[in-house]
Amino acid sequence: MTNPTPGGLPSGSEGGPPPITKPSLAVAPPRTARRTGELVFALLVIALGVFALVGAFLIRVPAGARVGPTVFPIFVSVILLAAGVAVLVGVIRGHLGTPEESEDTDPDARTDWRTIAIILALLMAHLLLLEYIGWALAAALLFGGVAWALGNRRWWLGFAVGLVIGVLVQILFGELLGLSLPLGPVLGWLGPLI
Amino acid sequence: MDNISLLLEGFATAFQPQYLLFAFLGVLVGTAVGVLPGIGPAMTVALLLPLTYTLDPTAALITFAGIYYGGMYGGSTTSILLNTPGESASIITAIEGNKMARMGRAATALATAAIGSFIAGTIATIGLTLLAPVLAKFAVSLGPADYVALIVVAFITVGALLGSSVSRGMSSLGIGLFIGLIGTDLLSGQARYTMGLLPLADGIDVVLVAVGLFAVGETLYVAARLRHGSIPVTPVGGSWRHSMKREDWKRSWAPWLRGTVIGFPIGTIPAGGADVATFLSYAAEKKLSRHKKEFGHGAIEGVAGPESANNAAAAGVLVPLLTLGLPTTATAAIILTAFQSYGIQPGPRLFESQPQLVWALIASLYIGNVMLIVLNLPLVGMWAKVLRIPRPYLYAGIMTFAALGAYAVNFQTVDVFILLVIGVLGFFMRRYGYPVAPLVVGMILGPMGEEYLRKALQQSQGNVASLFLHPFAATAYAVLAVLIIGGLWLKRRRTRYEAALEQALTSEIAVVAAAETADLVPGHDAQHELDQRDRR
Repeated sequence: MTNPTPGGLPSGSEGGPPPITKPSLAVAPPRTARRTGELVFALLVIALGVFALVGAFLIRVPAGARVGPTVFPIFVSVILLAAGVAVLVGVIRGHLGTPEESEDTDPDARTDWRTIAIILALLMAHLLLLEYIGWALAAALLFGGVAWALGNRRWWLGFAVGLVIGVLVQILFGELLGLSLPLGPVLGWLGPLI
Repeated sequence: MDNISLLLEGFATAFQPQYLLFAFLGVLVGTAVGVLPGIGPAMTVALLLPLTYTLDPTAALITFAGIYYGGMYGGSTTSILLNTPGESASIITAIEGNKMARMGRAATALATAAIGSFIAGTIATIGLTLLAPVLAKFAVSLGPADYVALIVVAFITVGALLGSSVSRGMSSLGIGLFIGLIGTDLLSGQARYTMGLLPLADGIDVVLVAVGLFAVGETLYVAARLRHGSIPVTPVGGSWRHSMKREDWKRSWAPWLRGTVIGFPIGTIPAGGADVATFLSYAAEKKLSRHKKEFGHGAIEGVAGPESANNAAAAGVLVPLLTLGLPTTATAAIILTAFQSYGIQPGPRLFESQPQLVWALIASLYIGNVMLIVLNLPLVGMWAKVLRIPRPYLYAGIMTFAALGAYAVNFQTVDVFILLVIGVLGFFMRRYGYPVAPLVVGMILGPMGEEYLRKALQQSQGNVASLFLHPFAATAYAVLAVLIIGGLWLKRRRTRYEAALEQALTSEIAVVAAAETADLVPGHDAQHELDQRDRR
């Protein structure tokens, strides 16, 4: 836990960099970068609060409504603004959040932005392509691609497994749920069979 | 007495072969997703929500309840067997369970967890059977103002008590409430926050939010810092029958029962779900144990108690869900959506309007528990194998099914895009320590809260004070104040507790690692003692 203990901050650091709450065991990204990220996120929460508040006043209130459609949005904006400001103040005072722990993550590793970008690009490609090349092929691309991005050495196997999953899901969906995923040109011949 | 005959009827329904099959599928899938890191019951139920288009309500809800219960059992297997340093302190069971596993007592730890889960799950289901109808009868008299109070209580406890930071929890809740607002207001027909975009006119589907946050967000988060290399799974070793010695039974039975007694009420009141219960049980066991020295080094009480508390709390969560329509965890919130997609509103009238469905569901919980102990005691070795799935394939699968689930909502690719955006949100929330569960609960409970608020204000001619003047509502707010104070106190204690444990664990890991590399017999006192006792 890198949780800062409330109240008991060391008073030794004068003037210099932001107060460091306690030497944590796992300082994965450089602290300043993390702080900036946290500040941006808190500001985004506040911005959402402002957007919600402004938006609330733009909602048309039908005549005669005693409790119109704006009451609850204003309430939500207040929560967003208050919570966002509280986080912001906390971050400025050096209370950083505790990153979530997960079984498969290495808290000491540096953030691998490249892999994240590849996975997002794959998802984007999947959604853009699926109506043209068919769901099964798009799924194979997504599955194989993500597995490869995460370090699957036998990349061809990933795509093969993805294709099998894609075709099975396509058939199961058509058979069991009666919902047909787009077949695409390559698997079009399956259409009459399902 | 009447309820008993209704329950028997419920059993008659639940024992029909097709419902038994759905219960089995539910607990099987539930255990699997509980075992696998990266997915949990909330996301799985969300992905399977399209089943509600084709299945009858009883079958779908029995499946979802099975997934919910199964996830609780499976989670303990992972925390005991998966040996990843640093993570251990976040799940209470892992503290002692992992230690036991490393001493070669994995089978014992798994057995006490599974048997404890079964006992706690069954007793808590009995509690649910007895309590729910009574509470439902009482809840019929509640007015909209009382519901507003209940929902406020749920918001605050879920937002402020989950996660490590109150302000971050409330931010997450606020984002969820905002997402819940997007779309057309049902009462006045006005579009809100749609920015004139057509895909937003009907609001954002729960599936997209839940799957985006839990599946895509988690995958991105793991991708950022994937632990490479082999997966450190401790072998189970030995069958459970020989693993529980007389001494182990003697030391386990009381924690099982205490865990149940602690867990069920905490699950029932909206107080942050199972997390608090497991922690309280752990603290209680440590205080009461005659083997205090073993705590932190693999004390069986520290597995038996919290695991039972966890399962009892899970059953407790169903009480407010079924009787008040009030979900207090993300999974419960998504199960609520499943009810709603059949046009059924859980709440006090549920026991009158859908007796067959409710009682079949409750009966299926008893049956599911029996299935789960079979799946998790003799067959635990199978789950240990599941735990070894190569991570690239695991997360590739999660992403593929997430994309499928999103596309299947309306067969529109724009939904997959929304999924992506929410996934990115989920990634940053995890990164900066914002809990995601309050977002899901806020999104689902928000529209309900608004409806009750407007009803209440309409009834009182816009008099805000009336919201607080109903005796029940006033009581609820008073209890809320107590909960907040108690909860914050507990949280502070827990943080201190975990910090201390973490330090103890890291030094311990270093010692063990050093001993292992030097190929020495582990030299810890407590460990030694246990080893000797095992040999006897």
